[in-house]
Formats: sequence, structure tokens, C-alpha cells
Amino acid sequence: MEIIEKIKTNKLFDNQTEIQKICLQKLQSSPLPNPKSELWRLSNKSKFSNFLNYSVNEKNPKFDIPYPESSQNNIRLIIGENCQIKLIKENYSIQQLSEDELNKYIKEQIACFDQNENWSDLLNLSLSSKQNFLALKINGSKIPPIEIFSHASSNSLNVKTLVILLEKNCDIELLQVNLGKENSSLSQSTFFLLEENSSVNHGVVSYGENRSNLLNSLNVIQQQNSEYNLGSLHFKFNYARFEISIKQSAGNAKTNIKGMQVTKKDEQISTYTKIDFNGPNGFLDQINKSLADDKSHAIFEGSIIVPKIAQKTDASQLSRNLLLSNHAQIDTKPQLEIIADDVKCKHGATISQLNEEELFYMRTRGITLPEASKLQLSSYFQEIISFIPVSKDRWDLLDKLLNEN
Amino acid sequence: MVNENLVKDVVKEPYKYGFVTDIETEKIAKGLNEDIIRLISQKKEEPKYLLDFRLKAFKKWQNMDEPDWAGLGYKQIDYQDIIYYSAPKQKEKISSLDEVDPKLLETFDKLGIPLTEQKKLTNVAVDAVFDSVSIATTFREELAEHGVIFCSISEAVKNHSDLIEKYLGTVVPASDNYFAALNSAVFSDGSFVYIPKGVTCPMDLSSYFRINSGDSGQFERTLIIAEESSSVSYLEGCTAPMFDTNTLHAAVVELIALDDASIKYSTVQNWYAGDEEGVGGIFNFVTKRGKCLGKRSKISWSQVETGSSITWKYPSCLLLGEESIGEFYSVALTNNLQQADTGTKMIHIGPKTKSTIVSKGISAGNSINSYRGLVKMGTKAAGSRNYSQCDSMLIGDQASANTFPYIKSQQPNSEIEHEASTCRISEDQLFYLQSRGIEFEEAVSMMVSGFCRDVFNQLPMEFAAEADKLLALKLEGSVG
Amino acid sequence: MQSKMKESDPILEVENLFASTDNLPILKGVSLSVYPGEIHAIMGRNGCGKSTLSKIIAGHPSYNITSGDIKFSGENINSLEPEERSQSGIFLGFQYPIEIPGVSNLEFLRVSTNARRKFLKKEELDTFDFEELVKEKLELVKMDHAFLSRSVNQGFSGGEKKRNEILQMALLEPKIAILDETDSGLDIDALRIVASGIKKISNAQTGIILITHYQRLLDEIEPNYVHVMADGQIIKTGGSDLALELEKKGYEWTDNFVKET
Repeated sequence: MEIIEKIKTNKLFDNQTEIQKICLQKLQSSPLPNPKSELWRLSNKSKFSNFLNYSVNEKNPKFDIPYPESSQNNIRLIIGENCQIKLIKENYSIQQLSEDELNKYIKEQIACFDQNENWSDLLNLSLSSKQNFLALKINGSKIPPIEIFSHASSNSLNVKTLVILLEKNCDIELLQVNLGKENSSLSQSTFFLLEENSSVNHGVVSYGENRSNLLNSLNVIQQQNSEYNLGSLHFKFNYARFEISIKQSAGNAKTNIKGMQVTKKDEQISTYTKIDFNGPNGFLDQINKSLADDKSHAIFEGSIIVPKIAQKTDASQLSRNLLLSNHAQIDTKPQLEIIADDVKCKHGATISQLNEEELFYMRTRGITLPEASKLQLSSYFQEIISFIPVSKDRWDLLDKLLNEN
Repeated sequence: MVNENLVKDVVKEPYKYGFVTDIETEKIAKGLNEDIIRLISQKKEEPKYLLDFRLKAFKKWQNMDEPDWAGLGYKQIDYQDIIYYSAPKQKEKISSLDEVDPKLLETFDKLGIPLTEQKKLTNVAVDAVFDSVSIATTFREELAEHGVIFCSISEAVKNHSDLIEKYLGTVVPASDNYFAALNSAVFSDGSFVYIPKGVTCPMDLSSYFRINSGDSGQFERTLIIAEESSSVSYLEGCTAPMFDTNTLHAAVVELIALDDASIKYSTVQNWYAGDEEGVGGIFNFVTKRGKCLGKRSKISWSQVETGSSITWKYPSCLLLGEESIGEFYSVALTNNLQQADTGTKMIHIGPKTKSTIVSKGISAGNSINSYRGLVKMGTKAAGSRNYSQCDSMLIGDQASANTFPYIKSQQPNSEIEHEASTCRISEDQLFYLQSRGIEFEEAVSMMVSGFCRDVFNQLPMEFAAEADKLLALKLEGSVG
Repeated sequence: MQSKMKESDPILEVENLFASTDNLPILKGVSLSVYPGEIHAIMGRNGCGKSTLSKIIAGHPSYNITSGDIKFSGENINSLEPEERSQSGIFLGFQYPIEIPGVSNLEFLRVSTNARRKFLKKEELDTFDFEELVKEKLELVKMDHAFLSRSVNQGFSGGEKKRNEILQMALLEPKIAILDETDSGLDIDALRIVASGIKKISNAQTGIILITHYQRLLDEIEPNYVHVMADGQIIKTGGSDLALELEKKGYEWTDNFVKET
């Protein structure tokens, strides 16, 4: 783990930005996450160290766009290629944060970091260079859908950071796509602030190639009356972890999450979510689906924290898992911590295989077993995919999931 | 929020079993080392294999760390400040109950567990454990006629040594966890049950544990073996006097069910919980585990946990035998500054095994009530199923309810289903009941008991009434 | 009775069939032949094995045939997969049609119909042509077009589910249809709709097995044969008058029957 050695000895970069300095300093004393908390995350150790076995990629080679053409109505941004953006239109504006604004905001975030929970953010911010830092503030109305890409190149560790400040009364649709390359690691950290009355439909689609790794961290702060909808899909990574932290800073906000991870071969993909209700009348509807086939391992850990201040919280979390092979493994760990008494919280979890009665029913109607399974799977996937914005019409996610191996 | 306060009042109920029996006891010196363990073993005239078992466990314990993962907050326990053996002074050999110190009989009388021939409960055989020793077991002859062995574990060591040597520590190995290791090193007494092949135990068996001495810990050990096609229902009750120090209770219970055998283990735990400020009370760190070794065997845990300052307890089932069944039904009520971290582990190893978990947590005051569970489907557990339901009820806005179910599957042809919810007593419900003429306290108690119904239904008749009464005591306040 | 029908070969022959589930014997020697154009009714108490018989004919994986044969158009189908049986023309109308959340009814019907058409070497239908076909068939069971856009059976009432079954039967045009308690849970209007649907779909080439408890479906569709099952066997066979007699005298009456061989 070359990176870790460099962090320890502070021999990474010559011209460190202020943020890099702060984060590196924090990492130096304990450059790796606490083994105890890692134990709970159930990460495969060799996969985890494989992530760190590449050196940081500082160039950004042009890469072939493997996704559909941008439609005229969309704004497409590629981190590392076109981070200088200044769009000032009649109804809205999207522009780069000034260096001061960015430093101030990130420093505030770092101040609230927990070394264990934000380890991947610390790593990301330590390594992320200016050109791989996309920081936007968005305001106005009738904003066209936005697509943002982070991509890795082979044989390197790629670090991308995204910051979005969504100003009051602003609605956006945002699709974030993270692409792994063969033998690569991608560290993606996203910081999202939703000011009062704003609303986001956020899609996160991450997929890789052979032996690609991903550490994807998403930090969301929701102010009052904001609505945050997240549809996410992770597949085809040798090792991927998606860490979501959502804080309703003063309650009175709505959060909807529909996430899915699909693992095959010997892949390991995990999702950890932590939802903090820091005020009353919060709402959460969360569903996480996993599908594990072959020798793969899918993990979900979802914690919901409802302190005393969060009266009248209404939270529901569902973990649905399909285990398709004798050698695959699924772990799911919901965690509810509730102190407020006037709350409605429920959660549920299931692990099973495809429903046999449903399969039999379809087979008695002449549909073959593989077809029947496919029909079932597509309905299983569809619930999540239809929640991912922008992509629905143009992206063939369902085909990718059903047909790629 | 008038009701809120009323509800709080209702759950405050003084502890009724807090008296101390003034009796001369034989205690050994405080502290824990190899010599103490040798002394305990010697006092109990144990065979060598048992002393070795204890010493091995002690070595393991010394190299273990006290667990902190459950996030329980308590003052560090000084293991050298505990007396590991305390027994009421009695004649060397007691041939009948008449020779038992009347003070002891009186104590159990006061606890509602009369032991003497004239007064004893008619349908339950009782093993009464006072501090470190079992003082009496009723109905022994009657049970012996059916081949059922029911005695203290010390006696079993003497009279049924082969069974002890064969089974002790096979379900909960000494190295299992910190408190199990401690228990294995220093266990004093407890109950032993053996049900022979094909026998349905003619009456419920019961142990009653009483901690009397303030500075001694209680480390009892229970072992129940149900041979092929046998069945037994076993009840366990516990109380302790009120001391302002914390007393450690670290028990180990092991159950073994062979082919077609069934064991039902019910607990009503009402150790002293400490006062309103959280001073005193029992630390209840217990390891209970059953092994469904045989085909179609069944182990069912039901528990009503109302006492102790801190409870740390996960009655579990290892489901090895094909088509074996594990069940866990639990009500845990916490109040004031009590902390309960309880739940179960259902480890599905054999094929077509089934488990059911129903957990009801009620948290009031400033208490913390956590459900922590593990359901695991191993690679060979094809055709297995689990269903879990964990509900929490919060009373007042200072109490907390946590749920940590951990679900793990390595077997596609198995199903795990978990549901959990949190609720409180709604004002609409209270109003509705009250508008039908039901008193407030009665309404609260009705709803709490309704909330727990699924679990109470699982308790044996004798216990259901006691459990209902106990919750009512804790909840109804002065309303009789 | 109708001996002239038997000049052709039987569609379905069940020969001394023994079957079990989880090592528990359910069928203990059932024999039955259905010729083109025939309508058979199988009656019997709950648990007599009549539903099991239907599931085994359709190939439910939970049951094992321990001995005996099922022949369809003269071929032994004991080891055929359920979908192969369906494609070749065996239809089972479920007593409790399964809800499949998220799978659209229209898509389900289309895939299923095309599977049968492929077997029959007919052209497979695209969405457009299929909608035309469905529209026509919907008439038969008086179902609204809106049912097509919903998930399979999800949120359907009991009657709607049963009509959806008959719709599938109409689309698949089976050679033999086994209708397992299709009448249960239906009010009299729904029963008539279902019965008239069944009558319109069946013809001189198809066979029908009606599994039922009650006379009322048989009032609508008169069977040629009535079989009474008990404890995994057919204990009596007669004409449609047997069902009437059974209705009058109750199942206790059959307790005295000795198995007819």
C-alpha cells in the first residue's frame, strides 16, 4: 500500500493545497481506518488493500465516452476535463465556487468529520488535485438536467471530488456516473448541500470493468423543507463501497433512497448508509436491494439515528436481498437508534432467492425458467432503475444488468 | 402532554423483593486467583476434570478483554472486589427439607416460592438457589419415578458425573466470551436436568435464584439435557435485595436437545434494578444457549426481563439437526437508568431448520433498551427459514430504543424475513379506552400487555400470570 | 356413454399414478383418461388430492411421481418441465392465482402466448399485434383493458384473478385445461362470465377437467364424467347425475364407497 506509506511520510505532493494539508495531517497519525470499525464493515481485506495499491493518477487522459450522446437539453460535465464552468442564464446560474468559498465550505465539513466514518473523504480530499475538483453553486429555476462523470484510468488510483451547493428554492435533476476501468481504483467524494426549499433527484450509477475498485462517498446536508431523492446502482466492481451520510440539519425534510448493488463472480460491493435526523418532522423512505450471484458478497448496513429533538420523525427502511448462488453471501445490518418517543419507525429485511411459486406460475404459462427469472429480475431491478433520474429514457441500465456478465 | 407525565408516574413502582435475609453465611475471601478456584472446587468436592475445566477457563479469561461493543455504560467492575463463594451455613448433610434453616424457607416463602411439604406448589418442582448454593429441590422422588433427574449441579457432579463430563461446556465453550469464561472458572451452583428417552416430564421444573449477599457475585450454571423424544418445560425466576452497590450475576445456561426432543425455557427476571438515580442493582451478564443436536428437535426461549441495572443476554439456538426449530420470545421492560441489551442468535446449520423471533422492548424513564440479534444461514441450511419481529414501545421522551438485527445468508435456498417497528401509546388509543370507562392506569397497562401478548402467550400457564402481574406491578403504580 | 367419442386417441391419460411430497404420499393410484371434446369433473373433500393431481399434471416441482405415468397425446410427460407442458398445450387454471408485483400483466401474457405460438410453429406476435389479439379475448371474460397495464394479479379481486386465468386460457388455446376450483370465491355473475368463457374456448378437440367442490359450476358447464376422489384415489366415476346426487347427499355418502377398479 504505497499510498499509505507516502501519506505517513508526507511525500505525496510538492504543492499541497490548504485542504490537502489539513487532511493529510489528519491522516498521518492513522492513515487507515480503525480495524475495529472495519471489522463491522465486513470488507475483504485483500480487496481493500488492492484498492490502495495503485499510485495516484495526476493526468487525465481523454477517454472514450461509453455512454449515450448528451442530448441538447442536458448539461454534461466531466470531472478532470471541464471543471471551469460559468453558465449564467435568464432563469438560472451554475458556476464554479471561488477558491475562498470552496475552502470555507470544505473546512466546515472537515470540522464535523469522524475519523472512522469519513476516512474515505479524508483520503479523497488529501489526494484530490484542483483539476479534479468540481465545485458548483446552483440557483434559479427550470435548470436543465445535469450529468456529471467521474472516470478512472487503468493501473492508477483516480481521485475525484464533487461539491454542489444548491441554493434556496432550487430544483435539479442530477445524474452522477462513476466509471471504473480495468485494474483501477476510483475515489469519489461528493458533498451536497440542499438549502431550504430545494429539491434534488439524484442518480448515482457506478459500474466498472475487470478488477476495478471504487470508494464512493456521498455526504448530503438537507436544510428545512428540502427534498432529496437518491436512486443508485452499483455493479461490476471487484470491490466497491458506497458510503452515504445524510443529515437533515434541522428536520422538516424529506429523503427518499432507492439503492441497489449487483455482485457476480468474486466481487464485493457494499453500501453503508447513515441517516441523521437533527430536527423534528423528518421523513425517510429507504429501500436497498442486493443481488449476489456466483461467489460474490453483497453487504448493506443502514443506520438511522433519531435523537430526542427529532419528534414526529417518520422513517422506514427496507433491505431486500436476492441470493442466487450457493457460494455467494449476503450480509445485511439495519441499525435503528431511537430516543424520541413520538416517532414512526419501521424497518424490514429479507434474504431469499427468486420466488418459486411465481416462477412455477410463469412456467405453467410456457415461459422458460431463464425467461421467467429474467422477468422477475427485471421487475426487481426496475423499481430502482425507474427512480434514477435523467437515465430512464436514454440509458439501457436494465439491459446492462440483465445481459452483461 | 399531561398523559406523558401520568405514564411516567405509572411506571414507577418500588421493588418488592428488596429485603435481606439475616443468616449466617460461609464466605471465602474476596478476589480471584487460581487458589480461590481450587478452594471453590475443593469445597464442592469436585473431581479433577472439573477443576481442570475451571483452571483452563480461568487462564482463558485472564487473556480476554471485557466486551465494550454493546455500548453499555457502566462503572468498571473490580473483579478482585467480589466474593466468589457464599453459602448459608447449614448442617453438612440435609436429609429432608425439615432440616433446612427455617430462615431460608421463610425467605423463599416471602418470595412466593414455598418449599415445605405442606405448602409447596403442587404442579411445579422447584430448585431453590440461595447465593452460591442450591438449598432444596422439591418433588425429587416423584420425578425420579419417571427417570427424570432434577437436582443442583453440585449434586449432579457427584451423582451423575458421566453426564456432566460429557455435556458441560459443549454448548457454551469456556472461551465463548468474557463472562462465560468467568462463569466456567468460578461457577458455584445451579440446576441440572436430565430427561430420559421418550419421557415427557410430568410437571414443570423451576429454579429460583436468590442473591442475598451484597458483595458476592452469583455465577450459576444450568445444564439441561433432553434425550430422544423427550420434552420438558423449565422455568427460571430471579430476585435480589436492594444494595447500593452493583452485584455481578454471570450465569451460563446450556441446553441440549436430541432427536425429536423439545425444551421450553422460560425466564422471569426481576433482579433488583437499582434506584431511580441508577445506584445499585444487578449487572446481569448471562450466556444462554441451546443446541438442537437432534433431528426435529426444538428449543424455545421465552423471557420477561424487567429487572437488573444492566442486562446483557442473548439466549440463542444452534440449529444443527435437520428440521430442528429454534424460538425466542422476549419482553424487556426498562425504566429509570436501566440498560438492557438483549436479543438472540439463531444459527441455522442443518437443513430445513426453522426459527422464529418475537421481541418486544418497552423503554421508559432514561433507560436504554436494545435488541441485538443475529440470524445466520450457513451453507448447508437449505430449505431453512427465519421470521423475526422486533417491536419497541417508547414511554416518555428520554428513553431510547435501539434495534440491531444482523442478518447473514450463505444459502440461496433459505428465507429470512425481519420486521421491526417503533410505537408509543397514542393519545387517541388512550382516549378511546378511557371514553369506554377504562381507568387511565388500566388503559396503559392494557396496551402494554396487548403489546406483549404474542410473547405472554408463549409462557407456561404458571408463569404467564406471574409475568402479567410483574408488568402490572411495574406499570400500574398504586392502582391495584 | 359417448362411446363414439372414444374412436379418437385420448388427449390425457393418467395411469395408476402415485405421487408424494416430502415423502408423504398424496396420490395413491389415480387413473383417468380424457378424450377430445370431453368435460370431466373431479370432486371431493379438501385434502383428497384433487388439487395435487392438477399440480402434478402441470409439473409442479414440489411433488414426486413415485410410480405411474402421465401421457399427453400419447407421449409420456412425467419428466417434462412445467413450461414444456404449457407450450405443448396443458393449461392449469390456479385455485389461487399468484401475484407477481412489478411484472406487467400485458408483458406476461405476451411472452406466455408467444411461447405457445412458437411451439405451434406460429408466428410470434409483436406488441402491436398482440394487443389486437388480447382485445378480442378480453371480451370473452368481460375484462377491462386497464387490467393489462397492472402487475400480474396484484391487487386483483378474487373474481378478477379468476377471469385473468380464463383470459390466459383463451390466449394459450390449450388442448387440455385443468381448472382448479375456478368457481371458488366467485359470485353468481362472475361465475356465469367465467363459465361462458370456458365454453367458448373449448371445442370438439379440447378436453377439460373441472376440479370443484360444488355443483354450481357444473350447472353452468355440464360434465360428461364426474369422478369422486378420496384419500388420493378416484373412488367413484359416473355421469353428471353423480354430481347432483353428491350435492343432495353430501360427501358422507361417498364414505361408504369401495374403490371401483
